[in-house]
Amino acid sequence: MPQSPISAASPPSVSTRTYPNGNPELQYNPPGVRNTDSAIPLHPKAPVMHHYDCEGPAPGDLAFRWIFGSSVAATNRDPRVQVVQYNEDSFVLRQNVCVHWEAPFTYLLFGNKGALLIDSGATDNAQHYPLRATVDAIITRWSQMRGRSKVPLTVALTSGEDVAQNQGLVQFAGRPDTVIVPRPLEVMKRFYGLGNSWPSGTGRIDLGDRVIEVIPTPGTHKDGVTFYDPYCDFLFTGDLLFPGRINIGNDKDFLASLERLKAFAATRPVKWILGGHIDMMFVPGKYYRRFVNYKPYERVLELPPAIIDEVIESTREVLGKETMLIQPEYVLFNGVSPDQRTRVWPQGVPNITPPFHF
Amino acid sequence: MDRRSFLTANAAVAVGASLTSIAQVASAAARPAPVDFKTNLPAPGVFPDRWICGSSSCMDNTDPPVQVHWYNEHTAILRQNKAYSYEAPFAPLYFGNDRVLLLDEGFTQLRNEWDLRGVVDECIDQWCGRNGRDPASLELLVAFSHLHGDHYLAVNQFADRPNTRYMGQTHEEMVGFWGMTHFPEERVTLDLGGRDILIWGSPGHVVSEFAYYDSYSQILYTGDMFYRGRCYISFWEPWFESMKRLIAFCDTHPVAHVMGCHVEISKDGQDYPYGMTWQPDEAPVQMTVQQLRDAFEMAKTITEPGIYFTGTVFLCNQTRGTTTIDRNPYRY
Repeated sequence: MPQSPISAASPPSVSTRTYPNGNPELQYNPPGVRNTDSAIPLHPKAPVMHHYDCEGPAPGDLAFRWIFGSSVAATNRDPRVQVVQYNEDSFVLRQNVCVHWEAPFTYLLFGNKGALLIDSGATDNAQHYPLRATVDAIITRWSQMRGRSKVPLTVALTSGEDVAQNQGLVQFAGRPDTVIVPRPLEVMKRFYGLGNSWPSGTGRIDLGDRVIEVIPTPGTHKDGVTFYDPYCDFLFTGDLLFPGRINIGNDKDFLASLERLKAFAATRPVKWILGGHIDMMFVPGKYYRRFVNYKPYERVLELPPAIIDEVIESTREVLGKETMLIQPEYVLFNGVSPDQRTRVWPQGVPNITPPFHF
Repeated sequence: MDRRSFLTANAAVAVGASLTSIAQVASAAARPAPVDFKTNLPAPGVFPDRWICGSSSCMDNTDPPVQVHWYNEHTAILRQNKAYSYEAPFAPLYFGNDRVLLLDEGFTQLRNEWDLRGVVDECIDQWCGRNGRDPASLELLVAFSHLHGDHYLAVNQFADRPNTRYMGQTHEEMVGFWGMTHFPEERVTLDLGGRDILIWGSPGHVVSEFAYYDSYSQILYTGDMFYRGRCYISFWEPWFESMKRLIAFCDTHPVAHVMGCHVEISKDGQDYPYGMTWQPDEAPVQMTVQQLRDAFEMAKTITEPGIYFTGTVFLCNQTRGTTTIDRNPYRY
């Protein structure tokens, strides 16, 4: 009986073999991911408490590609809110590019005592952008799995004045068990306990064993703040620092905030910086202009923490000048129109023209 | 010319002049009287109060891909939906007794994305129904104002359309399409069958651009060289010469409306930045000759590159395309 070439071959050695479905020899919870509750009771009788202490950043990944619009925006049929689960307690939501070109990212984090929604999207109309319904559904599902009857929600913004992030807030008006961080700068400072220590102090939002720190980072917006999540080791920087066109509101504040952020990041582990948008393409220094509904060559969202040093250096270059500066991972606009263009190309960066789709 | 008409035409030549003349007499008898495009000018017409102008959420836009507005019985103006392309160009469709002229084909390429050819065919069918013609007897000329993608991208939809001629996409082909030998000064007359379209060169935005004047509706179509928005003037000297030609034409010919390809400005003169897909308070597309003259007067004073507002349009003198006067609203 002829043997198939596959069974005729000698079996691969144990050390080089790959396990697409997981190596059965390994423990269920390898070191480092010990504290994820990948096995929770099917019908919890009592609230399931989660241990948010872990060695290093909590595991998770952003494995999906972001939805990127379509060449004809009117016929787009992608979900209006794309939900990507980073891990059991952290969700990343993205607005469809064809609902609003800003396509902001919104983050939903859970702790033992409550949830935090960071930012609220660029569209107020719940028919066009059902953020509240999506968040409610995620919270309901999460609370069923964790045996909670209710999950208090805090809605906070990386900037209250940014219309690309504050429009969805109206959808949460009147929602039970919800605290919306008040918006005028002075009231917001008091809410975070920063009335006397803005911008040098840090505030706290306690989600229950997961304490989100609030770092004042004005610069692109007067009332900008950055959130630090000690569980996933993320900095949520909103409009301050993201892979895109950074429109500086006040360059001195911007530099001071970055330096404060750098000092903060030096004392905490930081895995990624997650901003509020993506404008860059996946070739260095090239970006989508405003109002684009089709971004097939988008860069990934996450930035390494080392980028803070680079941005500080670039900011020193543009400080006090009305100019724009292209860098591989971001573009700074200081005091110029957001539609400004330049022929200055950064030295040593390959100038690659990405394909253009009609 | 499709295969069938090519064969019939050659067969008619082969049979001889006598039979041809009989055939012509026969077809003329079946044909209704030609439309008179030469008296009672300018032919009255109306622009809509409001064009379709996008929506706050593009994927929730329920407008048709192309808005068809009949300016008068023999003139349609097409506009692409902003949710299909932010450029949303305007495209006139002029009907004559023998042929139809389509100027500009929008910024979306594929027929399954927007069926421009279907829309144009339907317009031709409607016109033929109203005037008792056979749509197959009308020749369609697919031309465009200038050599930019937002004005010719759907040309390929007409490639296999019978009885259709379309403009090539090089300067030489464009100039040759109108039979010009002295671009841009030479003014040629295109006869659509009793309806004359005057065409001459209008470079400045790009090198290869034309101005089209319809002697029936007396609409002067100025393309992207002069329109209600940001006129990106790549080459100032040729543009200024083109403006002189337009003014000289307006001095000697009656012009009812001046019309460009886009609108990028609100009724109160606010700039809609490049790429916007929602223009809820859009200014009308048509302009008056006086507004053209005012812009020319202002242009005489411009010596430096920059963006200048004439009260009607923005003259973007040698600024790079897509730049605007918009500011960062969060500056403090």
